[in-house]
Amino acid sequence: MIDFHTHLACVKEAVDPHPGLAEDCQRIFGMGPGWSMRTFLAAMDEAGIDKSVVLPIDCTSAHGGKVFSNEQVAQAVQDQPRLIGFASVDPNLPNAAAELERAVRELGLRGLKLDPALQGFDPGDRSVYPVYEKAAELDIPMVIHAGLSWAPLGRSANANPLALESVAHDIPELRFCIAHFGFPWVREALLLALRFPQVYLDTAVIYSGSPAEALDRVVKIDVGYDVVRRSLRNQIVFASNTPRIRPKRMAYAVQALGFDQELYHNITHANAVRLLGGKEEQ
Amino acid sequence: MISEIAKVGIDTPADTAMIDITESLRETVHNSPVVKGVVWVTTLHTTTGITVNEGLPDVEADLIAMLRRLAPTESSDYLHARWLPSDGAMAINSATHQRAAILGPQVAFPIDAGEIVLGSRQRVYFVELDGPLRRNYLTHILGE
Repeated sequence: MIDFHTHLACVKEAVDPHPGLAEDCQRIFGMGPGWSMRTFLAAMDEAGIDKSVVLPIDCTSAHGGKVFSNEQVAQAVQDQPRLIGFASVDPNLPNAAAELERAVRELGLRGLKLDPALQGFDPGDRSVYPVYEKAAELDIPMVIHAGLSWAPLGRSANANPLALESVAHDIPELRFCIAHFGFPWVREALLLALRFPQVYLDTAVIYSGSPAEALDRVVKIDVGYDVVRRSLRNQIVFASNTPRIRPKRMAYAVQALGFDQELYHNITHANAVRLLGGKEEQ
Repeated sequence: MISEIAKVGIDTPADTAMIDITESLRETVHNSPVVKGVVWVTTLHTTTGITVNEGLPDVEADLIAMLRRLAPTESSDYLHARWLPSDGAMAINSATHQRAAILGPQVAFPIDAGEIVLGSRQRVYFVELDGPLRRNYLTHILGE
């Protein structure tokens, strides 16, 4: 199982070596370190997760800090073969595309994380296109936050997934994942996934109730169980949003949906491998 | 009067685990200068428990099954299933809090002749109810 959405803000060994990072994590993300890396990995084991994608957020212009720089992510995952490090760049800055290329080619990071709610940008604005195009050129996936932002400085209004329709149309080579099923804009996210095969949705749905309750409601009521089975078999990836929840609870939530074996395997593994460009085993 | 408090750290292995701490406790009491007194074992967490029972795997399994039966993991009745701003995370573990309440946070045993007095079948357990996590419990020895 691959978890496509986690954050290292909770891990002391990843945060403590860097002055100011704990404060930025608490201020921007809303959570600081409290776990050891051992606990983080043990939580993965408990959930049956083999590998986790770890996501930074570059909020330089919006909030004067980063929830992990690209160097800090690269350092954290360097000796952790179970962690897949992604990069983040600030789309409001002119060097964003160049920084993304550096993060991938020099630091070995394997994807892009953007968060319009926290980074303060319009995801559909053409000024961001150089970053999207660079990601497509580098053949890396993008995870983009959509919907409800729990971060204390987040502005969810910036994160309606419908703003990405032009991006999906104009840059079809860009594989991207709409986080959280875009909750509460689930149908907008669904619209994009139905229209564009390169658009994925992640299962990190947390708003009220247990993940099992929340995901059940989104899948069966907002989306439709039959819609998932018929039309989204290849476009949903397992994601927990650790440490907002413990990953074991999201693993249970996906199991409890009772999908057929092939669909379950797609959600928990095969779709993530494809989204990563088929390079997960390297 | 001698009073010794020690914090013991433990990395719990799973979501739910009954961890036998009897020998560690026995050694702590044995190494203390207290000859007659009492020892308390207290967890520092609200989703763990301290309990005493017979050290058999089927007894342990039945206790865990009982806790899950009395406080099922999922229930739409639970109010504690929401965003907790102070944590920056979802608080969705009502069942584990209830199981901890059933078990209780502390046990106490007498110390006589410098040793903990336990029944022949009594084992002291630190019970993880929402792991795996790094946890802590206290031993407090009081006596003369």
